[in-house]
Amino acid sequence: MSFIVLAAEASAETKNPVLPVVSEMFWGAVTFTALYLLVKFVLLPPFKRTMSDRAATIAADKDAAELARQQVASADSDVVDQLAGTRAEAAAIIEQAREEAEVERTRLVGRAEREVQAMRDLADTELSSARDKAMQGMKPQVSELAAGAASRVLNRQVSLSEAQPVIDRHLANQN
Amino acid sequence: MLALEFPPIENLVEWPAYFGDGEFFAFNKIALISVLAVVIPTVLFLLAKKEMVPRGLQNICESAIEFVENQVIMSAIGPEGLKYLPMLLSMFLFVFFGNIFEVIPTFQMPANARMANPLVLALITWATFIYVGFKHHGIGYLKEVMVPPGVPKALLPVVIPIEFLSTFLLRPFGLAVRLFANLLAGHILLVTFGVLCIAVWRLDAMAILVPFSFATLVALTGFEVMVSFIQAFVFALLTAVYINSSIHTH
Repeated sequence: MSFIVLAAEASAETKNPVLPVVSEMFWGAVTFTALYLLVKFVLLPPFKRTMSDRAATIAADKDAAELARQQVASADSDVVDQLAGTRAEAAAIIEQAREEAEVERTRLVGRAEREVQAMRDLADTELSSARDKAMQGMKPQVSELAAGAASRVLNRQVSLSEAQPVIDRHLANQN
Repeated sequence: MLALEFPPIENLVEWPAYFGDGEFFAFNKIALISVLAVVIPTVLFLLAKKEMVPRGLQNICESAIEFVENQVIMSAIGPEGLKYLPMLLSMFLFVFFGNIFEVIPTFQMPANARMANPLVLALITWATFIYVGFKHHGIGYLKEVMVPPGVPKALLPVVIPIEFLSTFLLRPFGLAVRLFANLLAGHILLVTFGVLCIAVWRLDAMAILVPFSFATLVALTGFEVMVSFIQAFVFALLTAVYINSSIHTH
């Protein structure tokens, strides 16, 4: 009990360092109020404006980038489509050209064959005519030689008129 | 044994007035730190450029703003709490700069190691969350706070006084004491190790211990920087939590 009394007397003489002091509370309230007003009306608004502008710029840039990306994708798709169309067109042209070339080739080959056939026929005719002419030209000598050869073989004189029909028949068979 | 002369607690926390001694506006070291806790952030925010690409000081200021926005308001209240940004940012800055003078040479005293500033801030928080409660719920705010849903009527005579005490008295008291006690304990800890360094230095036989006690003092100084930041964050966060509890009572 006496300890409590002594403590109470001591606390009456010295201030308790834990308890708040009015003057410090006064300055605390004044300075915090000043800081709050400064932050609210002077310090914070420019930063919020800058940060808001930055966020808007970033958002706009992102939108523009996305738009550009979509445009590139669209252009890429267009190029692919155009390329596919061009390839199909080229294939059709090649096919058409091939068909036309085949028709032309068939036509030219036919004509060439006809020309060759005509030349062959002409050559055959000329050859036949030349051979006939040659045969006609050789016939008297061949007849004389054949009659002479027959006279030797038979040991008697074979006349040309006698041998002529046999020679003619033989030559005719050669043809 | 070590011939330690630990100064009385009054000598560690009570400071004589520079002017106005005995008056309600007596201006001492704590008041000076309070003024500097306004001047320093003001100068920093004014000197910082406001450019599209932030650099240097602007980065620090914007980081502080975004920290309070994201880690305090968005986590405790949500987007509707953004209108309290000026108040919560002011509290964060005021508490932090009031605390950080603990480790600044020649000052080495946190303003919040005295009960005055924490009490003023806690009273402002108290007034704010009560105002927000009445603004959102009208007079029904009292019922919302003191009558939790689902409590049997027979228990209400017990629950109502408990809820009243916990919301309207213990909240500001706890807020003030938490900040004050943490900073006072840190301040006494630094003084203790400072005195210990001097004491072992004076004793030749124990001088070998000086590097250890000095290293501890340096480590504790770093720890106090962290405590300064954390306590500012906790104070702002609890204020936001109380405001949120006034908006969404259940």
